[in-house]
Amino acid sequence: MAMQHYRRAIASTIVLTLAAIFASALLEAALAQRRTSPTPPPPSAQRGEPRRGQQMPVTPPAAPKVKLDEARPPDTPETVQADVSTRNVAVTSGFTGTEIVVFGAVDNSRQPGAESGYYDIVVVIEGTPSRIAVRKKSRIGGIWLNTRSSTFEGVPSYYAIWSTRPLDEIASEATMIGYEIGFDHVRMTPAGDSELAGSSSRLPAADTGEFRKALVRLKSGSGLYVKDDFGVAFIGRSLFRANIALPANVTVGPFDTRVYLFRNEKLLSQYNVRLNLEREGIERHVHDFAFNWPLIYGMGTVLIAMSAGLLAAFVSGKSLR
Amino acid sequence: MNLYLPIAEMSVSVILMLGMGASVGFLSGLFGVGGGFLLTPLLIFAGIPTSVAVGTAPAQVVASSVSGALAQWRRGNVDFKLGSVLVFGGVIGSYVGVHLVSALRRTGHFDVFVSLTYVTLLGVVGVLMLVESLRTLQRAKAGGTSSLRRSGQHNWSHGLPFKMRFQRSKLYISALPPFMLGAFVGLLAAIMGVGGGFLIVPAMIYLLHVPTNVVVGTSQFQIIFVTAVTTVLNATNSHSVDIVLALLLMIGGVIGAEAGAAAGERLRGEQLRFLLALLVLAVCLRVGWDLVNAPPDPFSIQPSEG
Repeated sequence: MAMQHYRRAIASTIVLTLAAIFASALLEAALAQRRTSPTPPPPSAQRGEPRRGQQMPVTPPAAPKVKLDEARPPDTPETVQADVSTRNVAVTSGFTGTEIVVFGAVDNSRQPGAESGYYDIVVVIEGTPSRIAVRKKSRIGGIWLNTRSSTFEGVPSYYAIWSTRPLDEIASEATMIGYEIGFDHVRMTPAGDSELAGSSSRLPAADTGEFRKALVRLKSGSGLYVKDDFGVAFIGRSLFRANIALPANVTVGPFDTRVYLFRNEKLLSQYNVRLNLEREGIERHVHDFAFNWPLIYGMGTVLIAMSAGLLAAFVSGKSLR
Repeated sequence: MNLYLPIAEMSVSVILMLGMGASVGFLSGLFGVGGGFLLTPLLIFAGIPTSVAVGTAPAQVVASSVSGALAQWRRGNVDFKLGSVLVFGGVIGSYVGVHLVSALRRTGHFDVFVSLTYVTLLGVVGVLMLVESLRTLQRAKAGGTSSLRRSGQHNWSHGLPFKMRFQRSKLYISALPPFMLGAFVGLLAAIMGVGGGFLIVPAMIYLLHVPTNVVVGTSQFQIIFVTAVTTVLNATNSHSVDIVLALLLMIGGVIGAEAGAAAGERLRGEQLRFLLALLVLAVCLRVGWDLVNAPPDPFSIQPSEG
C-alpha cells in the first residue's frame, strides 16, 4: 500500500514538472506570437523623432532648385541614410520568422518623382559569417559517395539583396564585385579542399566556382539567400522602403544591413545599419545552458527522457490493473 | 501550432514532431529496436539540421526504451542479467570503436566500407529471418510446434568457460557469446552512429536462442544505457542536443512505445520475427538505395567546425 502511494507521488511529481515545462513553453509561444504579429509601425514612429505636423514643413521645399542636375552646385552631393524597423528582433519559442522594413531617404535628392527611376537603391542584408563545407557526391563503382569537398570561410548565414531594378541594369559587374553585391559576389574565401577521396590537392579555380555556385543554390533553396529585383520602392522624391522577410530558420546573431545609392552606374553613397536577432526568454536560457554547462544539460536531458518513460509506464500500468 | 527550437534554430510543427516520435516509439516498443535509425532520417527530412537530428534522436530513444522496457518488465520479459552482460560488452566495444573510427577515417574510403558492411549484415539477417519466420508460421498453421529452440540442443558455445544461468531466458550458457555480441554491436554503433538494435535483436534470437519476447525487453534495457551515454556525449562534444525537440519527440515516443508493447503482447514470437524481418529489410533497402541511387543534388552543405 505504501509502495502504491510512493509510486503515485513520484508519478504525479513527474507529470507536474513535465506539464509545467511544456505549458510554459507553449504559453510563451502564444504570447510571443501576439507580440510579434502586428505589422511594424510606420517608419517615422520608429526613429525616435517627435512627429511633426503634416501641414507644417519646417524647411521650405527645395523644389525650384531641382529642375536639372546642373542646377545644384557639385559641392552638395547626394547621400543616403537608412534604418530598419526593428533593430532588435526577439527570438522566442513562438518565432516563425519576421518581416523587417528597411527605410531611408536620399539627402539632396534631385529626383523629380518616385517613379522617375533617377536613382537606384540596393539593400543588402548579411547574416553572421561562418565556415561551411560543400560536399559533392560522385559515382565510384556503382556507388554514390561524397568524393570531394571544399570549405569556405566567412560565408554569410543569410543574404538578401533588395533593389529597385535588376542588378545588371544598375551597375557594371566590376562595380558589383567591388561592393560584394549579388549572389555571385557574396564574400566567401576558399579555406581548404577535400581529402575525402584521398585527393588532398587544391581544387582548380573553376571547380571552386562550381562548389561556390552549389552553396548559393542550396542556400537559396532553403530560403536563406533571397533577392527581389524590384523590392525597393521610392515613396516620394527621396523616401524609399523595402520589406524583407527573415525566415524562421535564419541563424540568430547580428546582421549587417548595407544600403547603396546608385546613379548612372556609379555609387554615390552608402549607409550601414546593424540589425540584431537575439534569443529571449526560455530560448535564451536553454541555449546558454546547453553551451555553458553541456555535461549537466546532457544529463538533464537524459533524466527528463527517463522520467518521461517512467511516467508513461506508470500511467499505462495503472490502466492495466 | 509551431514551436521554435533553441538549438536547431528553426520553427517546427508540434503535431508533426509528436507524430514522428509516436510512430518510431511504436516500432521501438514492438520490436525492441531503438528506432534512432528511422528517426534521424525522418528528422532530417523534416528540415532539422543533420547534426541536431543525429544529436537529439538518441534522447527520444532513451525515453521510449525506458517506457518500453518497463512495459516488458511488468510482463516478465526483461532478463537483467543478460542485459547487463550485453551492456558491459557494449561499453567496451564502443570505447574501442570510437578510437578505431578516428584511426581508420584517415584511410579514405572507410565510411563506404562501413555502409556496405552494414547493408550486407542487415540484408543477410533480414532474409534469414524472413525465411525462418515464414517457415515457422507455415509449420504453426500445419499444427506443428512453434518453438525455435529444441531442448538439449548443444553447440560449440557450450564448451566455453564462464557459464552463467540466465533464468528469464531459460539459458545456461557461457557469458562470452553475449559479451562478444554486445562488444561487436557497441563497436558498430560507435562507427555507424546507430544504436545497433537492428542487429542485436536478431542475434539474440538466432545466435543465443533467447525467446523472442524476452529479447525485446532485454534489448530495450541495454539500449537505455547506450543511448543515455550517447546523449550526454552529443551534448558535451557537439552541443547538438535540442531539449525542446527531444521533449516533443519523447512525449510522442513514450505513448507509441506503450502502444507498441501492448501490440507485441498480442503477437506470437514468429509473427513478431516476421514483421521485424520486413523492417530490417526495409532499412537495408533504404541505406542501400542511398548508396546506389543517383542523388537529386550531388552537392550538400554542412557547417564545418574549426
